[in-house]
Amino acid sequence: MDDYLVFQLYAPLAAWGGQAVGQERPTNDHPGRSALLGLLAAALGLKREQEQAHAQLRDACRFGIKLFSPGLMLRDFHTIQVPPGARKQQHLKTRRDELREPKLGTMLSFRSYRQDALCLVAALSSDADYGVERLADALLEPVFPLYLGRKSCPPAAPLDPEVIAAPDLRSALDSYCIAPVLARLQTGTPRYYWEAGMNTGMRHDYRAPRHDQPLSRRRWQFAPRDEYVFLGGE
Amino acid sequence: MTQFIQLHMLTAYPPSNLNRDDLGRPKTAIVGGTERLRISSQSLKRAWRTSEHFESALADFRGTRTKRLGEQVFEGLIEKGVSESKAKKWAAEIAGVFGKLKKDSFEIEQLAHVSPEERQAVENLVDTLANEDRAPEKEELNLLRKNPKAVDIALFGRMLASSPAYNVEAATQVAHAITVNQVKIEDDFFTAVDDLNTHEEDAGAGHMGDAGFSSGIFYQYICIDRDRLVENLQGDEELAQQAIAALVEAAAKVAPTGKQNSFASRAYTSYLLAEKGSQQPRSLSVAFLQAVRGGDLLGTAIQRLEQQRDNFDKVYGDCADQRCSLNAQTGEGSLQDIIDFVKA
Repeated sequence: MDDYLVFQLYAPLAAWGGQAVGQERPTNDHPGRSALLGLLAAALGLKREQEQAHAQLRDACRFGIKLFSPGLMLRDFHTIQVPPGARKQQHLKTRRDELREPKLGTMLSFRSYRQDALCLVAALSSDADYGVERLADALLEPVFPLYLGRKSCPPAAPLDPEVIAAPDLRSALDSYCIAPVLARLQTGTPRYYWEAGMNTGMRHDYRAPRHDQPLSRRRWQFAPRDEYVFLGGE
Repeated sequence: MTQFIQLHMLTAYPPSNLNRDDLGRPKTAIVGGTERLRISSQSLKRAWRTSEHFESALADFRGTRTKRLGEQVFEGLIEKGVSESKAKKWAAEIAGVFGKLKKDSFEIEQLAHVSPEERQAVENLVDTLANEDRAPEKEELNLLRKNPKAVDIALFGRMLASSPAYNVEAATQVAHAITVNQVKIEDDFFTAVDDLNTHEEDAGAGHMGDAGFSSGIFYQYICIDRDRLVENLQGDEELAQQAIAALVEAAAKVAPTGKQNSFASRAYTSYLLAEKGSQQPRSLSVAFLQAVRGGDLLGTAIQRLEQQRDNFDKVYGDCADQRCSLNAQTGEGSLQDIIDFVKA
């Protein structure tokens, strides 16, 4: 038996960033390791520059996910007006002042979101400093506001963290009850995702590489890892 | 424990196109399986940050609205014995910080809002320049816009890939505003007549085009991390209160500027619920997973929102410690009450 921290994640818009180059800012259909670690770190109040603490949290946690609905893709056209040539010390002004400059330019990007996606997350911790009880308390009263991938995606339901003792990942995830109001979002059979070295109680249908193991928040570096997937059913 | 301030608003916009996609059509989102109108987070923030309203709310009420700041600076410099040509140049540089100047002049084009602290800073700079007989440095000029600059960046953050030392984490989280009702984007086909066309050769229109629009009641959600805001403002509690008040006022009254000349779709919020507490903040958008329909859209939306708030409390325990609301449909509560509540 292991203690799993299980919580629900829902927002009308969520963004689980994939590899973003240039104008295209894509999203995956379920959260990656970096996103979940970031979420827990925000709840605990770890600042971006606390490299050591982030590394400790990263090494402590393993995650499994039950995806009720991957949601629909939204590709948002995003423009930013910018003063020409980004003059020296320009950033010391207010946005209103900045936009008074003559000859403003425009920066374009396409930011993708998932609409109405719903999933459950189960976390295991191997570090007493970041035990599941402490993480659960942090999610109930977070230090920093939480969000689902982008700051403009606040959770639209309490995460309702619960510590569940279960023989394996699947029974931990399956014994959690999502908020009734969210039940209507479920589409098809739930899928399961997890990382290497977890006692899962289910077979994996396939395994895929993901590039979301954070190495350094400050340098924004990520390492590859394998993700295991069960497509649901029996 | 962090103190969070959450704002939930219902704002009804008549036919409008406030925030457009790359085809010029109103932005949308699918929620609960139906199409809704959407105003993006960035669009809302831009409208609030750049509004006259936001700026004047931040200047103390004794603040000055003027075009003639440059003139005052010029006279001050001359009085202190600076040569006319230098005084002209420096006055233009200083006044230029507060607004765009008229061509070859130091008069500000539009009335600028100048707070007492800012006027004091300008006077101090004039003294320094006259004493040292030198031109103002860029850094000194930027420091003149003290309060609005500090508040703008403390609330909404700043990210500079090139110089991360200047990065500030935003204290405010603004969700995309999404309508509570299902919408169908309509197309307005329009023509423009060429008044000088005598119809002798060709009786067609001078221009043809189409414009997408729709209307709805938007659910807007804002979460302010009060502790972070005070920290971002170097512990200035009073300025933090002013910042929160300005944000609430702008959010309740200022609409994005998109297509306002064609639709005049300006709207004040009809319902606002403010909550304070250290519990995990959550929006109440699930109240509208099932699109609101029927006659009294606004009344139903308000009722659903309050019901959802109570249901979350019932199931998960209290999600906030204190609450305050205004309802412009029934005339209950006031914006001033909300501002006093969130400031405290």
